[in-house]
Amino acid sequence: MIEKFQEWYENRHEYQEKYKERTGNKIVGYFCTYTPEEIFYAADILPVRILGSHEPQDVTEPHIFGMFCPFCRDVLAQGLKGKYDYLDGITIGQSCLHLRQAFTSWDLHKNPGWSYFLPMPNHVQSKRAVPFLVEEYKLLIKKIEELAGKRISDDDLRQGIDIMNKVRQAMKEIYEFRKEENPPITGTEAMYMTCAQFFTDATEFLPVAKEVNRELASRRLDRDPGKRIMLIGSENDDIEYINMIETLGERESVGCTVVVEEHCTTTRYFWDEVDTDIDDPLRAIAERYVLRTPCPSKDWPQRTRLQRILKLAKDFRVDGAIIIQQKFCDPHEADIPFIRRFLEDNGIPTYFLEFDVTVASGPFAVRTEAFLETLEAEEDLF
Amino acid sequence: MAQYPTEPLKCWPKAKELRNKFYENYKQAHEKGGIRCMGSAWALDAVTMGLGRDVYWITGEPYGASCAFDSPLSADFLTAAENFGFSRDLCSYMRNYWGSIIVGKYAFGGPLPKADFAYTQHICCSHGKWYQNACELEGGDVPLYVIDVGVGACPPFEPEMYKHRVKYVADQMLDSIEWMEKITGRTYNDELFFEACWNDMRLTHTWAKICMLNRAVPAPLDEKSIYSLYVFAALQKSSAAFAEFYEELLEEVEDRVKRGIAAVENEQARVMTDTQPPWGFLKIYRYLETWGLVSIGSLYTFGLEGMWVYDEDRNDLRPRPMPPEKPKSREEACRMLADWHLSKPEYQHFYSPEYKTEMMDAIAKNWRCDAIIMHYNRGCEGLSVGIAENRLGLLERGNKVMTYEGNMGDETEFDLPSTETRFDIFLESLGLKKQEA
Amino acid sequence: MIIAGIDCGAKNTKAVVLRDNKIIGKGMILTGFDQITAIRESLHAALKDAGIDAKDVDKISGTGAGMEEIRDADVRVNEVRAMAKAANFFLPSARTVTDVGAEMGRAVKIDENGKVIDFAINEKCAAGAGAFIEAMARALEAKLEEMGPMVLESDKSIPMNAQCAIFAESEVVGLIHARTAKADISKAIHDAMASRIVSMIRRIGVNKDIVMIGGVALNPGFVDSLKRELEIDKVYIPSDPAFGAAVGAALVLAEET
Repeated sequence: MIEKFQEWYENRHEYQEKYKERTGNKIVGYFCTYTPEEIFYAADILPVRILGSHEPQDVTEPHIFGMFCPFCRDVLAQGLKGKYDYLDGITIGQSCLHLRQAFTSWDLHKNPGWSYFLPMPNHVQSKRAVPFLVEEYKLLIKKIEELAGKRISDDDLRQGIDIMNKVRQAMKEIYEFRKEENPPITGTEAMYMTCAQFFTDATEFLPVAKEVNRELASRRLDRDPGKRIMLIGSENDDIEYINMIETLGERESVGCTVVVEEHCTTTRYFWDEVDTDIDDPLRAIAERYVLRTPCPSKDWPQRTRLQRILKLAKDFRVDGAIIIQQKFCDPHEADIPFIRRFLEDNGIPTYFLEFDVTVASGPFAVRTEAFLETLEAEEDLF
Repeated sequence: MAQYPTEPLKCWPKAKELRNKFYENYKQAHEKGGIRCMGSAWALDAVTMGLGRDVYWITGEPYGASCAFDSPLSADFLTAAENFGFSRDLCSYMRNYWGSIIVGKYAFGGPLPKADFAYTQHICCSHGKWYQNACELEGGDVPLYVIDVGVGACPPFEPEMYKHRVKYVADQMLDSIEWMEKITGRTYNDELFFEACWNDMRLTHTWAKICMLNRAVPAPLDEKSIYSLYVFAALQKSSAAFAEFYEELLEEVEDRVKRGIAAVENEQARVMTDTQPPWGFLKIYRYLETWGLVSIGSLYTFGLEGMWVYDEDRNDLRPRPMPPEKPKSREEACRMLADWHLSKPEYQHFYSPEYKTEMMDAIAKNWRCDAIIMHYNRGCEGLSVGIAENRLGLLERGNKVMTYEGNMGDETEFDLPSTETRFDIFLESLGLKKQEA
Repeated sequence: MIIAGIDCGAKNTKAVVLRDNKIIGKGMILTGFDQITAIRESLHAALKDAGIDAKDVDKISGTGAGMEEIRDADVRVNEVRAMAKAANFFLPSARTVTDVGAEMGRAVKIDENGKVIDFAINEKCAAGAGAFIEAMARALEAKLEEMGPMVLESDKSIPMNAQCAIFAESEVVGLIHARTAKADISKAIHDAMASRIVSMIRRIGVNKDIVMIGGVALNPGFVDSLKRELEIDKVYIPSDPAFGAAVGAALVLAEET
């Protein structure tokens, strides 16, 4: 069943287009994980995240200055090239400057008829953020109701919360398997899973995730897990890179398994659930988005990510961390020197790689291998 | 062959003195038991003034620009930041600032004075991180307060200035007052805050009025000079001395307009620019003058701190009128100041490039610009966000536009000869001729 | 009226001699470190090619990165204006011109009179299309003249970083180690470079007809990649495209005289 995730990942457009035909529901594309999917589900609108295609392109230069990250330009290219013409709307929850340009340019040149910019607050460490966000959600809901053609009730919101919490729980349960000595699921497969959830209806995703959970209990992989690696960084769905390093062990003397990540295609996206003990569902949703693992652009004045990363690293017994940064990604660049020092002070060696839309597999393999070898050496010393 | 009479600005020496004093005051703050505060040029510094008349500020962006003027020093700072692990494509003001802390040197002589606390706002991705990192680099014992102002655009770009948005900002300000009392041990003086709040608004209102005068032909001010004048609003909006200086400057510029005094005596054509200039290379403005070109300003110099209202029916930009009365309560002052700041022109493009395109077009049309020169500034994501769409939008609205790449605070990313070549190509295509010296 | 046009470029210095707006001689010399010598020798070669003496030349027009060194120039014309004029002369229906050389890439939008409406010049990320192709020829142990034709032999499409030549080089190394066929690698390199140039062209808009000048226009593989990226059938290339700017400079002077 686990192959289903890869199938969804690779055929996202087919799935999404057919979904419209099957259900008659509308689809809204979103750009940043601060988008409150619960509210869209409450309106029977499918929220799908828009990721890039990892293909070089030449269409975005008139629209986005080349010094903004390759990811946001790759995302915009999908729109400009007509890959998402079936969308009924686009939306973004405010975070970094780079990605919002994909939204605003798409809005200007490929407007699907409905678009919404949600000023997701940045001062998430302030008690003022939740009440502010609740009011913003009320404005968003008015606009969503226009698109959906129906009113959204508190019960609808609770249903939206329920399905999102369930898929988050299901993914976290699957992640538990990655804590094992020889994880029955690789980092590549986990990435397919979390990304597949972006592209599919959560109600269809959930039974598959549950089935995979059952299968994993008795699944054994015929591979040497090698070093236990954590990936930290910017948005990332570089399946090619992850697969390459996880198969290094077949070709070289060292190998590895990516056992956990802290970036926004995985744990930063789904780890935190909505607290259903909070009576007012809108407030509960707002709290979830304010209190979730933050994008570095919102992680101040305290750098809370440090403790969260360390906890993940310890819980998943990580040997080393690879920092994956999208070229030009400012929010992460501001944090990385401190993350590296912090992890190393806590006995976790780190390695830094800068990513673009395409990856130099050969040289990256060599560098990653060299890093894995140093982890070997570390053990010998003690 | 001079076309217009020209005179240097009478207030120039006073401007220099005021600016130097500002940086000296920061350095000497502790000598008289005062407080040092660091933050962004967009920080709501007025709120800190309730702590007393001896709160001395340094703002990061002007300081970063000052570092950039001094090439060897800036090179030291930027190298230190890079060696620490900070990537070269991060905001160059920030890198100069962090470098200054790491190297331990003040661009105005001596060691870098340490702030007692940091107080800033956040709208671009980096503002909060800037001071988070600065405080960490200072040893981790400098308390930080950040006010989030990224709440959405103002009218006419949004149907209204939503009350909950103003409240969110105002409430953070109120919270910060309690916080400041705790960390400084001082009792907050609301009267001083009301005064400071009013200074902020009259200073930024007066600046807009000064910029309005540049609609005149010939322009009484050129942008290179404007950079030395707009900076006071970036140094400290709540300063009474700066507010008074702007009132004097306004009178002087009104007089220049009356007498037809030009900033550039051979003004043949007018341009406006965009984003910060490459600070180490302001001579490009003198180069443009050799073509008879005066830069009358930009949304950046007009609206970085100046407060304006965009009239979408008339496609016009006018100074935002002062509130009718001074605030009488702490809550009212916070709301008033929050509302005032949220209407800042240079905040609007964070929500859509179209808003900025409209305001830039209003400047181009009303200030009689023949062309627009845009600096694709690699040093500042905040002001370059959406810049490519601004260019397209301005072209669509019938403007002539050129762009050049550079960096406001990192001279390694600016190529002077090739930029001058681009100017030549563009200005020639406008039908201008380089004037003989 | 005999007018000489000299384009002192980063890699080569090109000279042309025009009589009544017809090209009667051409000469090209490697610029090297000594621009002044290159300028003199290229003009000399062009005059020899035309069968005339230096004293027969009425005026000289200069352009190119090293145009300040063309001491005898009566006029110096910026390259963008020169290429606009050249394209209009060569093809009156031209509305978009691109000039791709060793270091510089430029794109210009022109009107029916060859007047510059808008222009773009390659920025930091993406300079050096021609130089990069040459460097990669060495990495592939192929002759430069072979690189272009190889593109036409490949039917594979390997994505390669199109923004940064440094990144792209890393990827080429990876492909070589993975024993990818040379023709496929050459195509990937050309496609990546063409993508860079097309990105730049899109800034000023892709308006037919499209003319390409500059040394890289002689590379059939690059032209093929360019057409595919632009999604058009025809890109017009004058004979001796490397001399385009020099011709344009001479034409500008002729017009003003």
